[in-house]
Amino acid sequence: MSVAELKERHMAATETVNSLRDRLRQQRLLLLDTDVAGYARSQGKTPVTFGPTDLVCCRTLQGHTGKVHSLDWTPERNRIVSASQDGRLIVWNALTSQKTHAIKLPCAWVMTCAFSPNGQSVACGGLDSMCSIFNLNTQTDNDGSMPVSRMLSGHKGYVSSCQYVPDEDTHLITASGDHTCVLWDITTGLRTSVFGGEFQSGHTSDVVSVSINGSNSRMFVSGSCDSTARLWDTRVASRAVRTFHGHEGDVNTVKFFPDGNRFGTGSDDGTCRLFDIRTGHQLQVYNQPHGDNEAPHVTSIAFSISGRLLFAGYTNGDCYVWDTLLAQVVLDLGSLQNSHDGRISCLGLSADGSALCTGSWDTNLKTTSVDK
Amino acid sequence: MKDMSLEVATVVEDAAEYSFAMEYHGPPITRELPRAVPINVDRIPVAAVVSPLSFSDNLSLPIVQPISATDIIGKKLSKDLKLSSTSAELLTVSPTSVIAFESRNNEVSEGSYSKELGLGTETSVSPSSVGNALDEREPENCHSNDVCALSGELSSDFECCHPDGVVNGANERGYSSVSPDHSCELGGVGTSEALGSLDSFEKSRNSSGSLHKSRLSSGLKGSLDFNESNRTDWASNESVLSMDYLSSRVSSRKFGDGNNESACDVRRVPVVTFCDIESDDENTNEEFSRSEPEVVRAKKEPAVKSNGSMPEGRKCVTCIGYPIDESKRGSLGKCSRMLKRLLNDLEVRQIMKAEKLCEVNQLPPEYIYVNGSPLYHEELIMLQSCPNPPKKLKPGNYWYDKVSGLWGKLAGVQCAGNPHFWVNDDGSYQEEGQKNTKGYIWGKAGTKLLCAVLSLLVPSKSSHPCGEQVTSMISRSMPDYLEQRALQKLLLIGYSGSGTSTIFKQAKILYKDIPFSEDEREQIKLVIQSHVYSYIGILLEGRERFEEESLNNLRQNQSSDGSALAGHVDCNSEKTLYSICPRLKAFSDWLLKIMASGTLEAIFPAASREYAPLVEELWSNPAFHATYKRRSELETLPSVASYFLERAVEILKPDYKPSDVDILYAEHVTSSNGLSCVDFSFPESAYDDDADSGDLHDSLLRFQLIRLQAKGFGENCKWLEMFEDVRIVIFCVSLSDYDQFAIDGDGNAVNKMLLSKKFFENMVTHPTFDQMDFLLVLNKFDLFDQKIEQVPLSLCDWFDDFHPVVSRNRPNNANHPTLGQLGFHYIAVKFKRLYAALTGRKLYVSLVKAMEPNSVDAALKYAREILNWDEDRPNFSLSEYSIYSTEASSLSH
Repeated sequence: MSVAELKERHMAATETVNSLRDRLRQQRLLLLDTDVAGYARSQGKTPVTFGPTDLVCCRTLQGHTGKVHSLDWTPERNRIVSASQDGRLIVWNALTSQKTHAIKLPCAWVMTCAFSPNGQSVACGGLDSMCSIFNLNTQTDNDGSMPVSRMLSGHKGYVSSCQYVPDEDTHLITASGDHTCVLWDITTGLRTSVFGGEFQSGHTSDVVSVSINGSNSRMFVSGSCDSTARLWDTRVASRAVRTFHGHEGDVNTVKFFPDGNRFGTGSDDGTCRLFDIRTGHQLQVYNQPHGDNEAPHVTSIAFSISGRLLFAGYTNGDCYVWDTLLAQVVLDLGSLQNSHDGRISCLGLSADGSALCTGSWDTNLKTTSVDK
Repeated sequence: MKDMSLEVATVVEDAAEYSFAMEYHGPPITRELPRAVPINVDRIPVAAVVSPLSFSDNLSLPIVQPISATDIIGKKLSKDLKLSSTSAELLTVSPTSVIAFESRNNEVSEGSYSKELGLGTETSVSPSSVGNALDEREPENCHSNDVCALSGELSSDFECCHPDGVVNGANERGYSSVSPDHSCELGGVGTSEALGSLDSFEKSRNSSGSLHKSRLSSGLKGSLDFNESNRTDWASNESVLSMDYLSSRVSSRKFGDGNNESACDVRRVPVVTFCDIESDDENTNEEFSRSEPEVVRAKKEPAVKSNGSMPEGRKCVTCIGYPIDESKRGSLGKCSRMLKRLLNDLEVRQIMKAEKLCEVNQLPPEYIYVNGSPLYHEELIMLQSCPNPPKKLKPGNYWYDKVSGLWGKLAGVQCAGNPHFWVNDDGSYQEEGQKNTKGYIWGKAGTKLLCAVLSLLVPSKSSHPCGEQVTSMISRSMPDYLEQRALQKLLLIGYSGSGTSTIFKQAKILYKDIPFSEDEREQIKLVIQSHVYSYIGILLEGRERFEEESLNNLRQNQSSDGSALAGHVDCNSEKTLYSICPRLKAFSDWLLKIMASGTLEAIFPAASREYAPLVEELWSNPAFHATYKRRSELETLPSVASYFLERAVEILKPDYKPSDVDILYAEHVTSSNGLSCVDFSFPESAYDDDADSGDLHDSLLRFQLIRLQAKGFGENCKWLEMFEDVRIVIFCVSLSDYDQFAIDGDGNAVNKMLLSKKFFENMVTHPTFDQMDFLLVLNKFDLFDQKIEQVPLSLCDWFDDFHPVVSRNRPNNANHPTLGQLGFHYIAVKFKRLYAALTGRKLYVSLVKAMEPNSVDAALKYAREILNWDEDRPNFSLSEYSIYSTEASSLSH
């Protein structure tokens, strides 16, 4: 078989794949019979309204000297870990806004951080292509650095996101710029499985976020710069369970819906979307028209505990609260008094859903009480 | 005192009358002369001791000092008192001679008063004395205002350091009778009053009062000077202000008439007086507002460029080299309205920069107390270059929390460990992270009671506004010299194989005392050893091939020779030049098997001890040597391999320690993915050659070289945003790449130079690097120089129009550039044009041989120079600037 012949065949195959994809999309559109917003409206749902005291910024967590890039809550005890460009992880008590730990990182370019389910250790990753685990019970030495209790190395690109598998302190999933996600065994420090990469069903660009299903921790979803989100089963590393198309830009953030059957995404195209993992349908688009200029990118999203509200942070410093049913913006936290001065880079809801924490490029974190 | 004041200090009884100081003509004075401070002791509204014995000295209590001015004034008083005691011995004091008096010993009886005062005895305000002082001050102020207006004083504009103004600048006027009102006079705007005034000038090296140096200069002389130089302008009452005058003729005036007061008054009045700040402030403001327009009108054209004439900003000549008055730190680098009117923007900026950056204006570390102890210079530098530097550092007490690495102000509440409250020095405290003030420490009745019981000081109410004023003034104008000292980040990037890692390693070796730690060396040793094994493996593979080839040749020869000698050849046929003995053959087979299975690195460094003797044997084997000679035929063998293979036996010994050069040559020893960074500063000695204008502050600069691996750069590297704070991007291109090919994402072989170019375009146009300076480092010139003689540069499509004019007698002519140099210039221009087309700016280019330390050193210093130009850029007009840039582009080798 000559090279030219091979190339021809490859072209033909690519064309077939594309046409099949197109057909699949057509078919899916035909089957899509749900209009969440329309149905909700017909059921007489009205947008959630907020009184002046419902969403109030109650604490400003000051202490970082660089842009905050990531934050995570503990499942209990109201603690927050945040990672900043100043090269530190700070563990906060969200109630008192005190710092309990400030860990100086060996590599200052940190992109993500996560609290372990038992709250005893934190993980972080960044441009050093490693995921470092710190045990919070170890003492920091004089200059604030803390010995790394476990180094998870094996990624060939930066570590963009990490999350502990719920209720398992020994497993962690990372997303990386090498187009893969990896499930790690922390006790051995080795990779349990690698998702994507060499396999064709994996992401074709940098993976920038992961979210693990809260109700079924074997499933997780990843968002990537190839503008898709993929659903994975940790038992089947060879291929993605499902690929979710729809976004027209990098999928910066993915987050599972509280019930575990849906997940939300936020993208560079300025929209948030809601996907159903069982049908593969896109249920809802959350898009605020932005006049003539380019829409600000979505940097981070979080669902309220009921799932009725979707908090989305944008690059222009807005932080919209969406009514997930009616797809309407019900509040802009960025327009409230003493809101952040810079881009909202990360946000997260506490495990009991009572508070929202936002981190920003203005070096501060703010916690907001959420009643609904 | 009386003697002296008659002779020395000018008596200003009446605004119209002045007495002139006489020059001292007597015999040389051998002993140390006391400082002559003209003083009006009577009018000093100062604190003195109520009862020095009210508490014992060894009672160690945290003491809040109400206002630090009293401390200093107290100390000053002590000197004055001493002065009075010693003045009797003084024969004559010449006003023109510099009279230095160093009060080393504060333990004299008078001095102890002030000490106790500083410790904070119970004090009260005496209304009578305040009133008295104010009453007396009023006419005097009016008078001074007049004089100011006439003579065009720039009292606020020029940094005159005198100890009285320390801490509480606003109080200055209040103590005007004590402190000679040092305002800098700018040129004699011809009034006869100005002639008669005595210009005195005083400076302090150390405001704590341990070392005082004062100077009295003859007003007569100074004024005459002015007159002479300004004679032409005299009639028109308009004199030209030149920056020379600003710096050299600045002298200060004094309106004190402290001749007829007796020192013992101080003991008599045991009070602390806090001046009414607001009224004083108004006075000063009034004075400024009156004087400024006058001067502006008088001096329209700055004659001399400020550049260089004001090395330390707005300081008078005599102050240069001495630290600034701490209370005025806040206004460092803040230009006044006056200066703005007098000078053009560039000059003002230059002065402000000089003021902010000059060494002596930096915050002296001994004023910063951290956790109770003063800092040393090194500690301050360390602190300012730490990743979490304290903002708005000014003299005072601080706490440093080692747990969190965070800083805070300390004022009385214990803050160590887990700080919950931030306490400000006015006594208000805030919960950490919250903006609203929780309360005032002094506002609590309990605190007051406790303080009263412990006979501690409670700051009087009147001190609050002044304290706030000072702090607000300082915080308002944050000196940004700190930022200048902060780490300057240099980002080093380049396509893989461009030699960024070599430059990085070279920088480590150049600028670090310990470039590689023992652990790192051990790690590197293992890497090098496993590399050597793989090189040997490649050679053995080649040996097999060569053996086969030569066997084939032999057989062919054999067959062509005919069968006559068949029997003889047969026994020899299995032995060629490339044959090895069975034992080595077994080793070779085993090594090749391991290499094929890809587990070489897992096995090898560990098994090194066992196999090192075998390698030694192999190395001495002629077959192996024959292969080694033909190593250029083995494509997979990297060029650096020969460096290591030559010393294979030595390297594979277990006690081998890699030298710096070994590490430089070794591949893949820096972290293979992600980034690595090294902090360094250029050694002092490097300043001999390229420091042009004594930029001493440069030596404080610390740099961080960040090396990024090219592998992670995808189409959209969002995380490049994290490098927005780098000062310059050093983009590395290997010159010898022009004939190399790499497999790109689509599986096509693409010229590596073109890949580099594409990567360069991506980086240059990346939004994060908008307006960023790029330094293109054209690396591996040594290889390139050799290669270009054999392989034409036009092999790379981008360079197809390279047609150098080569003279025939080139090798003989030393002045003629080599083909390599021509090629380098050609490629540099190619990149410059590309860069200019993309950004419209200039690309800096440097030629580097990464293996040579000096070459890398020069490139990094060039980067530093670019940063310096960057700062100076607004100060050059376009034409001047372009001179610089052409110099930069015409590189010398």
